[in-house]
Amino acid sequence: MSNGTPELLSVRNLVVAYETSGHVKSRLTAVQDVSLDIAPAGIFALVGESGSGKTSLARAILQLIPSASGQVIFCGKSLPEMNKTQLREARRDIQAIFQDPLSSLSPRRTILQTLTEPLDHFRIGTGKERIDIAAGALETVGLDNSMMQRFPHELSGGQRQRAALARALVSKPKLIVADEPVSSLDASIQARVVELILNLRDKQGIAFLFVSHDLSVVRQLADTVAVMYLGRLVETAPARELFSNPAHPYTRSLLRAVPIADPLHPAPVVLDGEPPSALTPPTGCVFHMRCPDRIERCSSVEPGQVNISGKEGRQENHRVRCHLWNS
Amino acid sequence: MTSQTPVDALSVRGLTVTIQQESQHLRVVDGISFNLRSGEVLALVGESGCGKTKTAEAIMGLVPRDSGVVQATSIRIGDTELAVMPEAAMRQIRGREISMIFQEPLTALDPVFSIGSQMSSVFRRHRKQSRTQARQSSLEMLASVGFPDTARVMRSYPHELSGGMRQRVMIGMAMACKPRVIIADEPTTALDVTTQAQVLARLTDLGRKTGTSILLITHDLGIVAQYCDRALVMSKGKIVEEAEVKQLFTRPAHPYTRSLLAAAAGIND
Ligand SMILES: Nc1ncnc2c1ncn2[C@@H]1O[C@H](COP(=O)(O)OP(=O)(O)OP(=O)(O)O)[C@@H](O)[C@H]1O
Ligand SMILES: Nc1ncnc2c1ncn2[C@@H]1O[C@H](COP(=O)(O)OP(=O)(O)O)[C@@H](O)[C@H]1O
Ligand code: SF4
Ligand SMILES: [Mg+2]
Ligand SMILES: [Mg+2]
Repeated sequence: MSNGTPELLSVRNLVVAYETSGHVKSRLTAVQDVSLDIAPAGIFALVGESGSGKTSLARAILQLIPSASGQVIFCGKSLPEMNKTQLREARRDIQAIFQDPLSSLSPRRTILQTLTEPLDHFRIGTGKERIDIAAGALETVGLDNSMMQRFPHELSGGQRQRAALARALVSKPKLIVADEPVSSLDASIQARVVELILNLRDKQGIAFLFVSHDLSVVRQLADTVAVMYLGRLVETAPARELFSNPAHPYTRSLLRAVPIADPLHPAPVVLDGEPPSALTPPTGCVFHMRCPDRIERCSSVEPGQVNISGKEGRQENHRVRCHLWNS
Repeated sequence: MTSQTPVDALSVRGLTVTIQQESQHLRVVDGISFNLRSGEVLALVGESGCGKTKTAEAIMGLVPRDSGVVQATSIRIGDTELAVMPEAAMRQIRGREISMIFQEPLTALDPVFSIGSQMSSVFRRHRKQSRTQARQSSLEMLASVGFPDTARVMRSYPHELSGGMRQRVMIGMAMACKPRVIIADEPTTALDVTTQAQVLARLTDLGRKTGTSILLITHDLGIVAQYCDRALVMSKGKIVEEAEVKQLFTRPAHPYTRSLLAAAAGIND
């Protein structure tokens, strides 16, 4: 898929499905046929509709939930085929931050205990060094040392999310999977976290899989952006091009829905209709019921992924799933 | 009768929250006063840790006793004084007169009950509906916050929904009883912008149609500009500016407001 550079992470045709609760057991496909590549020190952003499968994809990559089929290759090794010990070792290199910071912070541990836990676990440094590493990580995320002795419930939402990021940093990972790490932060701290992530990438060579709703943050951070809708990546492109020249009708709707910080600016456009159900996906293109540009075959034939590099001036590695581009 | 005097749905006077932290007293909310007018959407903005959530919890009577002390000259909803109200009576007010949408929805939903049973119980308790009526109302409410497969959501447990879906459930539950006041703490941070646009349009519509007033806590100045009527700007526990939204953006008075606007502009370009 790429141009020769060895990838840090390669995902091929990944499918994730859940058994849902209730009297009638049914299968819900949360991730459908997803392929992506992340280069060392690359920042890959995943955006898309609520419930479209972003978290499921992230968790399947992290091997926190099983995948139904497909491949996940990290540093040349297949993660799903690893045993428990190998996976534990690999976790040093792939860290995670979740949407809900409370899930990465234990309620009964102080922030210091939480930060030194992975160091104890991987036997990194002496006791004193571990505390220094923890203090350094807190400083990196802009929390002062007085937070060390606090418990998670004694922090504000934004402070908790930064503590979770600090925890991910202490084992010096190669990849951080960050599921909406900045959504609960205000603009000034978001700007700092954005700067921080760019710094970590530049100085420490850490790559990121960055799930976010905040398109302005994605625009500043990402090299590559993928847009997800009902389990599929409907568009994947270099970040600059995705924002300046979006090719998929859903991506265009997404960009029009951003509220602009100017009361005189026209109100965000609300997309017509409801998102489809992942339990009973529509036939044809999953976006066809809401698509302003649909053509006849959209309601019956599911579009495959096509590379549109070169078409209408687009760069390499720009891929979409849409019939409009299939000619 | 004087015409057109805006009635206040919520009026807060001299609200202070003090937190005991290692033999220090921190005033995380420091003597704030404001009015929320009937049917308006009032933004509360300010940087992380400035005391927005604590303000909301204090009004709701939800600051845990061991973590903080709330003092207020007055917190009124219409003619009802909440500042001196015992917890038992507060419980009657919460959900019916005033409800809150939390920043972290996972902590607000009960993991052991299905969404359907949690939603229905709100309708049964506060609106005294029968089991069948409550189920019907719940399905309608879920549809109104943008779910296509309401029956599946009803059967689901919180962990089976995505973060954004849980947040929409919380918004639906808060809207269920058409309360006089809704306090929404960063209600859409877990939502993508298309769902956010849909949910905020519905939430603010509800306000305008039923007269529900909304105190919308957010750090997104785009949301302030596009969905709110007025705004309170908070910094270090104090309200430093209160203004109509148009004025806030064109003529910010306080230096802190100006720095917030500048930070947002930096992010948006
Ligand atoms: N239980 C507690 N014990 C000690 N300090 C606390 C406690 N709860 C909150 N704080 C502190 O009180 C201040 C205000 O917290 P609050 O949750 O109101 O912030 P916020 O404005 O909502 O921030 P955010 O946008 O990050 O959610 C913060 O400095 C926080 O660290
Ligand atoms: N444990 C689970 N059991 C059943 N369904 C689930 C579970 N977790 C997520 N889902 C469903 O999978 C879909 C994708 O969810 P998720 O990956 O969390 O979305 P996103 O992160 O994009 O908001 C949703 O329809 C959600 O309801
Ligand atoms: S395939 Fe058809 S319905 Fe789907 S996005 Fe393209 S034009 Fe719209
Ligand atoms: Mg998610
Ligand atoms: Mg808060």
